[in-house]
Amino acid sequence: MTAEVADPFGPLDPFVHPAFFYRDEQEYLDVTVPFVRDGLAAGEPVAVAVPGKNLALVREALGDDAAAVRLLDMREAGRNPGRIIPGVLRAFADAQPAGRRVRIVGEPVWAGRSAAEYPACAQHEALINAAFRGSTTTILCPYDTRDLPEHVLADAHATHPVVIPEGARTARDSAAYAPGDVVDRYNEPLDPVAHALAFSFDAESLSHARHVAVGEASRLGLTGVKRDDLALAMAELTTNSVVHGGGTGVLRVWSEDGHVVCEVRDAGRLADVLVGRRPVPRDQRGGRGMLLVNLIADLVRVHRGDSGTTVRCWFAL
Amino acid sequence: MSNPFQVPSAEARGPRPGLAVYPLPGRRGVRAAGEVGLTTRAIWEGVLEQAVREGEGVYHLELSDVTFVDVAGAGALAAAAGRLRDGRRFVVRRPPAALRRTLDLLWPDQEGIEVSAS
Repeated sequence: MTAEVADPFGPLDPFVHPAFFYRDEQEYLDVTVPFVRDGLAAGEPVAVAVPGKNLALVREALGDDAAAVRLLDMREAGRNPGRIIPGVLRAFADAQPAGRRVRIVGEPVWAGRSAAEYPACAQHEALINAAFRGSTTTILCPYDTRDLPEHVLADAHATHPVVIPEGARTARDSAAYAPGDVVDRYNEPLDPVAHALAFSFDAESLSHARHVAVGEASRLGLTGVKRDDLALAMAELTTNSVVHGGGTGVLRVWSEDGHVVCEVRDAGRLADVLVGRRPVPRDQRGGRGMLLVNLIADLVRVHRGDSGTTVRCWFAL
Repeated sequence: MSNPFQVPSAEARGPRPGLAVYPLPGRRGVRAAGEVGLTTRAIWEGVLEQAVREGEGVYHLELSDVTFVDVAGAGALAAAAGRLRDGRRFVVRRPPAALRRTLDLLWPDQEGIEVSAS
């Protein structure tokens, strides 16, 4: 476990992280397309990771220039908000030559996000500041004011140090910027689900615990790669409980809204706000369990409590 | 299930799965059977350590009877492969899906590991 010595939400410079509020397609393109073109003109690597419909708009507006841009459907690549920093943003930024600014349009929040997903979205937006501070990167985050609720737009002012208001082309400081508060506010309790299969495990029963979880997931209809992924996630989470979380824990498995959900609850404390969101250097031993869970699950929620930690993972049926 | 919050303890669990390792007749390498997880990691790392230290060329890992490898187990294999020099490599035969998946996601393009499905 890495101890965070410095304030994870300290000064960002030279990282730039504006939220941009748009009312229609024209406003969307008026900001995103010049942002992309200015980057290309400066020889900067550029990626656009936004929902498919908006991706098609940007691709068409860029014409031939689209070939020079990494284009990703955020509904796929960023379905799990916890995957976006390691699997999308840093995966792209870290692959570029050092020292050159990297530009990314990242749109992780859209109207179809579920009530289970949204807290992870807000925490993700806040944690981008911790993950990228001090790096020569610009991440522009569009927000659709037509159909996102008021509280989501308010959260965007708290997770972004600068904002581009509707109809504007330039950014101003956000007076509401308070990313640490957002992380804390969406650290919502994950209360035990009454009808779930529950199993208490320790070091001796780790393997059996995984078999119990996979058996229940199969009974609930999970198959193929998703079931293999659930097995991997449960192995990592239960092993973390044994090694870092007091030696024991309780796993639960149930189905909910077209997903199999599994969780592990233990007495451990997770201090590192970016756990599971950092790419791990190739030569580092260990420390990849939560990263893998974020990469494979369709949604990961974490509750950090005074008396323990709960990690909950969703796998689509 | 009268009490929904009742958490069964694991008294009905089977024997703890181990990891058995056998030499491969006629080839450099081992056949393993069981699981690679927290309680068997030391056995697995011992195999890999010996593979790195001894010999040359290809080291075979026959894993068709290994049912699961966790992330740390995959990491130990990647680390061992990273220490191989002069074109040496592991040939991993019929690994469980979990090992393949983890290597693809966390150690793409790791040199020194050749996965064989047959």
